[in-house]
Amino acid sequence: MRNAAPQQLSYASAMPHRVDQQLANGHKHAFVGRSLRKTYITGETEVHALRGVDLDIHAGEVLVLLGPSGSGKSTLLNIIGGLDRPTAGELWYYDTDLTALDDAELTRFRRANIGFVFQFYNLIPSLTAEENVRLVTDISDNPMPAAEALELVGLGERRTHFPAQLSGGEQQRVAVARAIAKRPGVLLCDEPTGALDSQTGVRVLETLAQANQELGTTLILITHNAGIAAMADRVFNFLDGQIASVMENETRVPASEMAW
Amino acid sequence: MVKALDTKLMRDLWHMRGQAFAIALVIGAATATFVMAMGVHHSLTETRDAYYDRQRYADVFVNMVRAPRSIVDQVAAIDGVAEAEGRIELYSTLELPGRITPVRAMINSVGDGGASKLNRLVLLRGRGPVSDKEGEVVIDKAFADANAMDVGDRIDAIIYGSRSQLEVVGIGLAPDYIWSIAPGELVPDASRYGIFWMGEKALEAASNRTGAINAISLIIQRGANEAEIIRHVDALTAKYGGTGAIGREDHLSNTFLQSELDQLEAMTRIIPPIFLVVSTFLVYVVLGRTIRTERGVIGLLKAFGHTNGSVGWHYLKFALAVALLGIILGSAAGWWMGRSMTAQYAEYYRFPFLYYQVSANVFLTGAALAFGSAAIGAMGGVRSAAALNPAVAMSPPPPPIYRAGLIERLGEKAGLSAVGNMIVRHIVRWPGRSAVTVFGVALSLGLLFSVLQFIDSSRAMLDNYFSRAQRQDISVSFIEPRNEKVLSELALLPGVIRVEPARAVPVMLRHGARSKRVAIEAAHSGEMLTSRVDAQGFEVTPPASGLMLSRALADQLDLRPGDKVEVELLGGRQTSATLNVASTIDELIGTRAYAQSDVLQNLSRDASPVGSANLLIDHAHRDELIGKLAEMPMVLGVTERDAAMELFERIIDENIMSMMGFYIAFASAIAIGVVYNSARILFSERAHELATLRVLGYHRSEVGVVLLGEVALLVAIAVPAGCFIGYWLARLMVAMFSSDLFRLPFAPERSSYGVATLVVLAAATATALIVARRVNRLDMVRVLKAHD
Ligand SMILES: Nc1ncnc2c1ncn2[C@@H]1O[C@H](COP(=O)(O)OP(=O)(O)O)[C@@H](O)[C@H]1O
Ligand SMILES: [Mg+2]
Repeated sequence: MRNAAPQQLSYASAMPHRVDQQLANGHKHAFVGRSLRKTYITGETEVHALRGVDLDIHAGEVLVLLGPSGSGKSTLLNIIGGLDRPTAGELWYYDTDLTALDDAELTRFRRANIGFVFQFYNLIPSLTAEENVRLVTDISDNPMPAAEALELVGLGERRTHFPAQLSGGEQQRVAVARAIAKRPGVLLCDEPTGALDSQTGVRVLETLAQANQELGTTLILITHNAGIAAMADRVFNFLDGQIASVMENETRVPASEMAW
Repeated sequence: MVKALDTKLMRDLWHMRGQAFAIALVIGAATATFVMAMGVHHSLTETRDAYYDRQRYADVFVNMVRAPRSIVDQVAAIDGVAEAEGRIELYSTLELPGRITPVRAMINSVGDGGASKLNRLVLLRGRGPVSDKEGEVVIDKAFADANAMDVGDRIDAIIYGSRSQLEVVGIGLAPDYIWSIAPGELVPDASRYGIFWMGEKALEAASNRTGAINAISLIIQRGANEAEIIRHVDALTAKYGGTGAIGREDHLSNTFLQSELDQLEAMTRIIPPIFLVVSTFLVYVVLGRTIRTERGVIGLLKAFGHTNGSVGWHYLKFALAVALLGIILGSAAGWWMGRSMTAQYAEYYRFPFLYYQVSANVFLTGAALAFGSAAIGAMGGVRSAAALNPAVAMSPPPPPIYRAGLIERLGEKAGLSAVGNMIVRHIVRWPGRSAVTVFGVALSLGLLFSVLQFIDSSRAMLDNYFSRAQRQDISVSFIEPRNEKVLSELALLPGVIRVEPARAVPVMLRHGARSKRVAIEAAHSGEMLTSRVDAQGFEVTPPASGLMLSRALADQLDLRPGDKVEVELLGGRQTSATLNVASTIDELIGTRAYAQSDVLQNLSRDASPVGSANLLIDHAHRDELIGKLAEMPMVLGVTERDAAMELFERIIDENIMSMMGFYIAFASAIAIGVVYNSARILFSERAHELATLRVLGYHRSEVGVVLLGEVALLVAIAVPAGCFIGYWLARLMVAMFSSDLFRLPFAPERSSYGVATLVVLAAATATALIVARRVNRLDMVRVLKAHD
């Protein structure tokens, strides 16, 4: 990352106030979930995507969700991000009971706290890279300038390019810039490198890790690539809608040293 | 295999039912207006023809001062005349209890029991008058209805100066009085003007015309030369004060009906095409979009062995199915609206029966037009579907290319938000589709405006005539023209402030092969109550010598200022002279000629008689004065300007009530069809982006703005465009609806632009909001799993 972005800036001082204060108030956990269940009913069949998940997610940690496809990782991530609701169970974000929020409140929660990065970049094709970032900064309280967010992901020069004019990796980095530009408390990434080759993927991971370090953002990352787990503080292993095991890494391997 | 494709067609139609229905609505409006206008036109024409035929409506009419009955045989003997009949036509003043303003009747003589050879009476109730039974009359239905009269009622009348009591023995109608108006009036008023039929002998006795008549009607043989016959009739009747024979096309009743039919025909030529054009564009846009999204399916179908033709036909059938729905809806609506409209006409024009029937031809033509325009709209899409190479089709379509073009940079300069840029770029990315939305909404606005302008135009005509040209309080018409003395008599009546004579001389104007019967109206020095006002509202004075012709008359006779015109006096002395056309006047009503009174006197070589007088009165004495006027035997009619104006306004209001509902519905149909489709396409194209915005923390309302912002911007552009289209459409309609009888001025109220805009905005907003509700159903999670 350092090599990739020579004129990189430091954002430590810009760490969001809310995370600061909450840490000072003694909050260790950004999210606390108890007995989370999610059941999809399609026609006559029920799919139990989550079958009772308990979790504590530490503020500022890097958490990797690992597991086979269909094991419920995305379902959990979407619930954490306020895109979906659990069928049963409790979920707290600091002092906020997410299950009690209505649609408008959940929207406000996402707007204030969550940055998303998805496998498919979900950029708006009619907007340039910078404008895609501005989509988020337009509606945030304390964003960094869109151009700076692009600098941070090493795309300062490509500000005025449309998505169709960027490679897959570049598009994903625009998506990362869009996610971090509002200095979110939490970054949620669902297989962000899934559609990228390994070299490009590493660059995206580096950017995410940097946001975690410099902004203090809690980073939650879904992957089914066990190698990526090495960059996490902790790893949740998913199996069949449940967290089968939790693994803690003594040391985090820098994203730049990863390969797959 | 074909069956599976048809199943797909049904599913697609169901899936796109909203859009399909919205297009069908516009196609339906086209079919409905077509079926309605053609149906009404056809029904009225058929009814008229049947009525004319059954009751033997005459081909030629002539009025004289007085002629012996024997002249009828002479007329009948003219080569080409099939049948001729004479009768007495006489104005009479009626005295209805409690009525101050005079009520008049035109009494026609009929044979025993109401029989006649021509212009036969249709008895609706009661019986015909016994020929020599004094006082028995049949009265026309409109008059009976307006005055709540029925068989057995008695009416006091002054006939030929003497009072007599009439007894209503029947209620009837006749083909020569489908439409009638009292002389000197501008608006028909059945409560004050009746058509009566009285036994021949009785009327002869009452009018001191034993063995004499004053009118002849005749039917000519098939293929005979009408102009030639008219010339012969004129020659025969000249010495009896014949005022010149006229054909059906100049006979008042028929002329009015014909002008109405012409207007209906003009409507078929203007309004349905507007809807057809819009539906063509809608089909083009919607089918084009469907085919783009179904590239993969098309590729697959072809890979499985479907021919280009069968794939093309599949999509064409989609368009035709939508058109079929529109045709069914439109035909039903058009049939129903036509029936109610025909019923209205039947009440205004007096027919004893009414054929309402829309021929299969009308439906078939309407359907062919609708299918045709849908097919034209489908052509582009169908051809591209047929031409798609299966291998290319199955690979994903190239992503839409956005570039930083001129407008994009403008957006940046204008400091648009990212969302603002999304809106503007999308419009620019699909210019054709955006143009269709703008054009469609603009047309709907324009259509509504042009209809509203019609009302304004009628009001302006009214204002032009009553407020500017006719400033008298009362005009008095005489049973027979009087000499100057009458003016001083009138001046002595209570409440009369000023009296001015109105003189008119019936003439035949000839220029080359063209000729036209008109009255030359006299202008005299010092007149204050009446003037000649042109379409712009300016007063125009007739020249010191020569004639001033209304523009319409000059055009009909192909005359220009400076030309010479032959003027032949009708009635009384048969003389002719050649006069100079000194000027023309651009008038709204009628085809008329004017001259200074001394010019007219030179022409008629006697003190030109006073046909009517205009009075300025003191309103405090109004009732007394009118009572006195009504008692004067020489007075035929008394017309109050304000009452006539009110009546005219009421007719306009009634028209508004009956027509505005239809037109608001039609114009809204276009706006709804266009906006619904454009918003639906927009939504399906952008669902992925909109869901992404929701994920990023945009509220539903903010996402709604992205969706509706584009529609709103296009509608905003459409408003001025619609006013522009409406302006020209209204001008076109005004030109097409003008007739011999009147020319509508182009005189829109500013509020008409406003009302049209509001109606269209309301329809567009309601429709857009319906589509916007879909924002609530956006599935954020699913969107994230798909590769847009
Ligand atoms: N909207 C949905 N409707 C029905 N089933 C769903 C839906 N979303 C996810 N599932 C099911 O829930 C289970 C978990 O899915 P997901 O959380 O996407 O797994 P992962 O992300 O671990 O691959 C799967 O069996 C999936 O099919
Ligand atoms: Mg997943």
